[in-house]
Amino acid sequence: MTERDQLAAATRAAGLRLTAADLEALRPAWKRYLALVEELRAALASEPWND
Amino acid sequence: MAQPPSLTAAPLAAVAAALRRRAISPLELVDAYQERIESAADLRAFITPPGDRARPDAKRAQQRLARREPGALLGVPIAIKDLFATRGLRTTAGSRILRDWVPSRDAALVTRLRAAGAVIFGKTNLHEFAYGVTNANPWWGIARNPRDVRRSPGGSSGGSAIAVVAGLCAAALGSDTGGSIRIPASLCGCVGLKPTYGLLPLDGAVPLGWSLDHAGPLTRTIEDAGILLDALSGGRAWTQAQRVTTRGLRVGILRNSIVQPLQPGVSRQVERAAAALRRHGLRVRDVRLPEMAWTVATQLVTLRAEASAAHARWIRARPRAYGPDVRIRLQLGALVSGADYVLAQRMRAKIKDAVRRLFDDIDILLLPTTPITAPVVGERTVRWRTGEEPVDGALVRLTAPFNLTGVPALSVPCGEVGGLPVGLQLVGRWNDEARLLAVGRLIEALASR
Repeated sequence: MTERDQLAAATRAAGLRLTAADLEALRPAWKRYLALVEELRAALASEPWND
Repeated sequence: MAQPPSLTAAPLAAVAAALRRRAISPLELVDAYQERIESAADLRAFITPPGDRARPDAKRAQQRLARREPGALLGVPIAIKDLFATRGLRTTAGSRILRDWVPSRDAALVTRLRAAGAVIFGKTNLHEFAYGVTNANPWWGIARNPRDVRRSPGGSSGGSAIAVVAGLCAAALGSDTGGSIRIPASLCGCVGLKPTYGLLPLDGAVPLGWSLDHAGPLTRTIEDAGILLDALSGGRAWTQAQRVTTRGLRVGILRNSIVQPLQPGVSRQVERAAAALRRHGLRVRDVRLPEMAWTVATQLVTLRAEASAAHARWIRARPRAYGPDVRIRLQLGALVSGADYVLAQRMRAKIKDAVRRLFDDIDILLLPTTPITAPVVGERTVRWRTGEEPVDGALVRLTAPFNLTGVPALSVPCGEVGGLPVGLQLVGRWNDEARLLAVGRLIEALASR
């Protein structure tokens, strides 16, 4: 599944009706969001119960 | 006859005093500001200017003044960010969706202002639904910085800051979810106070992020911010501030990497203010808060999720009724999972703990409000030696951490760079607005020398 397909599936699951242009406009923000969440996950992964 | 500019540019405290001693009547004052609003229409400060609607309030205030009734704001025109419901007066939240909403009740803070005798003086422009910091509103006009009309006033309470700085009202009410009071205060050159989370009620304010939203004053002076805060909260922070001894207070200058990059001129003004505080007997030292590194991610996840929840119905049913920037933010928020939101709240708890520990060692944290002066309208990126940064990201970089933590934060003008104002941000302990105002007043006095 391509990144674009993943985003399209996520928006459909969230009940959003987006055109192809909407998806393209949303994609940079979504990629940045995923990167930031990954940073948070990595930062919190050092908690002892995650060892 | 129009009053001289000195009155419309006067601080709220001086306006209230002039009204008390009957040097001017509320109706004359309303007319004087109204005349200025008409001549400054190109700034787009107001979505709904006061017009004749302020006159009944002014007449009531005139009667109360004649009876020598109490009321800290008797006859004082206060502009309201168009996010707070006003009974019988259109409240749009800067949106197309709410363009025809005429509330049947006042927001709690508007009720308090009326009780204190204020004249509710029009509804000010804002970034659509307060969800952005440039105030480039697609429905109600791009607001302009009164110090340089080619530049942005910042937002989202941009109209309120313009109205204060351009002398269109005595003071204004704003809201702040990621910096929306402090950013326009910094870029336009006035005082902006975001009090402790929960100190001021938000009933009747259109929500953006429930756990991040704050209301607060935008004013010409620290004294005005204190007076207005006490009228809004029913507390005595300003009275207490006047008894605070600033000598010996411990001030920490934040030296984290998040503070960089900074415009050199902004950095110089902050260092100058710190040096002046040191000369006046405050104990100033450098401090670091490593957890600040996580505030951008934590704020983004929290706000995207909360704002999208607030707009859950409209963003699905009427996405085209939003401007493009706000629409994308809300659509992204609809994709935030519960697990991601919880992740952000776990980090938020760590950041709050770190801030709590920091305030064991200092009384006031000091940093710039914004790393840049007012950007040109339409500018999308800031160019640093190290690379580019989106303008909106740069503007909230130093303010949003204190929405996450809920501590009080104050922006006070501290000089200029290239003719544009620079804002210094002071941050205090939870519920310690008094000390914040006291140090703010000292900086204000030092900056005016």
